[in-house]
Amino acid sequence: MSIPHWILLACFGAFVGASLFICAQIAASARTFDPSKPRGSSWAGVVYSFTGAMSPLKKESARRHMPTYLLGLIFHGGVFFAFAWLVALFFDARAPFIWTKISAWVLGATALCGAALLVKRIVKADLRDLSCPDDYFSNGLVVGFQVMTAAALVEPGFTGALFICAGALFLYIPLGKLRHAIYFPMTRIYLGEFFGKRGVWGAKRGGQWEV
Amino acid sequence: MGSVNRLTDEQKKALALFAERMDGRLRTHLNSCVHCGLCDESCHYYLRYRDARYIPANKVEQLTRIYRRYHTVLGRLLPRWVGAADLNDETVKEMVDVVFGGCSMCGRCALHCSVGVDIPFLVQTARSMLVELGMVPKGLQSTVDAAIRTGNNMAIPREEFVDTLQWLEEDLRMEVGDETASIPRDAEGKRILYTLNPREPKFFPLSISAMAKIYYAAKEDWTISTRCYDVTNYAYFSGDGEAARELTRRLHDEVQKLRADTLVLAECGHGARAIRWEGPRWIDKAYPFNVTTVVELVAEFIRSGRITLDPAKNTKRVTLHDPCNLVRGGGVIEEQRFALKHACTDFVEMTPNRVNNYCCGGGGGQLSMGEYRDRRVETGQIKAEQIRKTGAKIVATPCHNCIDQLMELNRVYDLGVEIKTVCEVVADALVLK
Repeated sequence: MSIPHWILLACFGAFVGASLFICAQIAASARTFDPSKPRGSSWAGVVYSFTGAMSPLKKESARRHMPTYLLGLIFHGGVFFAFAWLVALFFDARAPFIWTKISAWVLGATALCGAALLVKRIVKADLRDLSCPDDYFSNGLVVGFQVMTAAALVEPGFTGALFICAGALFLYIPLGKLRHAIYFPMTRIYLGEFFGKRGVWGAKRGGQWEV
Repeated sequence: MGSVNRLTDEQKKALALFAERMDGRLRTHLNSCVHCGLCDESCHYYLRYRDARYIPANKVEQLTRIYRRYHTVLGRLLPRWVGAADLNDETVKEMVDVVFGGCSMCGRCALHCSVGVDIPFLVQTARSMLVELGMVPKGLQSTVDAAIRTGNNMAIPREEFVDTLQWLEEDLRMEVGDETASIPRDAEGKRILYTLNPREPKFFPLSISAMAKIYYAAKEDWTISTRCYDVTNYAYFSGDGEAARELTRRLHDEVQKLRADTLVLAECGHGARAIRWEGPRWIDKAYPFNVTTVVELVAEFIRSGRITLDPAKNTKRVTLHDPCNLVRGGGVIEEQRFALKHACTDFVEMTPNRVNNYCCGGGGGQLSMGEYRDRRVETGQIKAEQIRKTGAKIVATPCHNCIDQLMELNRVYDLGVEIKTVCEVVADALVLK
């Protein structure tokens, strides 16, 4: 293994360790004592939280900001796609050239979506007010990671640089706003549980109250 | 490296409370906002003012910047980089203005947050810290104090309340033509203990009459406590956990004392939420009795045939305002519609409605905070336009706080509508056998 391989491995190890620490922190007091009598099902609420509640049909914020919603969706899709290629490149698994080329174009497009979100954050006054350097840096880091993955797919000479870039990303995730990636599943679970127990989400409407 | 400012004793207490509340749920929501800003137009404050201060993400930020400063590595080392801030006079002042004066905790933003951050939960946590700092707006604090001191938030003396119930009982007898009709007071062993919003005996006694008439028609076995009847819990709004616990405990003890089977919560959105959903957690135990809202009870009376309604008695167009805490925060969504559709001939929905309905502007304790009166009325413009578009002549809502706000909006925005509780509309349609 090359030095970049070892750097990436070490950074990934630090990321896993920090993520486990965060998960342990949540798990240590995951359940809030709540003896109120349920009106609906927490489980149904959690399921809905990850499904229907995420749909633009139900999520007004997505409908009202459809271009941003789509850019965000594609950008995040690109993150997972780039991670998949990172694993492949780490183990030196190469696909036929046509696939790597297509993948590079796809990652270029997803990175452009991320860059568009970054530009929006810079240009729009309301978003600038909400933002701190971490917001810009985090966005830039993930865009950079996707661009580097695309570059490494087209030109294997960039693979070492990709590993170092990915290592930096792994180190930064638990520290800055990118840690939302670790917390996201629990956020949806807590919200789903809250609305589900109260019968707001996941409950069948109408029934005996149909007129 | 950013050095933490010197903290006053109050600030230390506020941070200690924050740390004490740091369970998995709070920690998760504190770390999830990505500042995407997509939540902006889910908030009626932002819709009205188009000011970044009112973007829900900025309300979250009031707490998360403190969290980052005292609970994260980068927040301690490089506070500016991650937007962390000390708890100091400046940040506290802004926090008060945003979380008390710029949020009604309606929860609409949480439903539409792209990540799923429970924004009102964080706002309430910020309010709890402000309790420790003695920064609760005076009007709201005095409402909580009145409830703790006198047993009801309007400080109505018991004798005055009993007098009111007595003359309402005489009115009821005349109206139904039955000398045995009554408003039972402090009776033990009844099926139902009914609560009231103190605004009812003080300003809207007809809503008590309406409910008494419905109970009479349903031949219900019920009573009202003259000692402890207040359904409201403004400590839920102020974030004062101790006061919230005390008010809940009193009501719990009264139900036990009167040996009632079911506690029925009057038309009060936040009261229903506070008692039914938050109360058991505050007093650390499940209620040994049933709890339901009067809206659910009345819907059940209609469905089971215990009361008969003639919708022809209400021919004016009626629309419904969904109280945030009852609907989004409590899941009581269809029952009020069911009742109104049986009680009037022309029912129309507002757009949007149900869990997506906009706050009237009076929630979150806004009605008691005179400091923010102008904002409350101005943000109510969103609701006023919703009402106007329905062409309704009557706006019904199962919440007395909403009633107060809607009455003011009716006057300010010249809507020309009548504002009623759901039970008042139902009582108007009652057919007495």
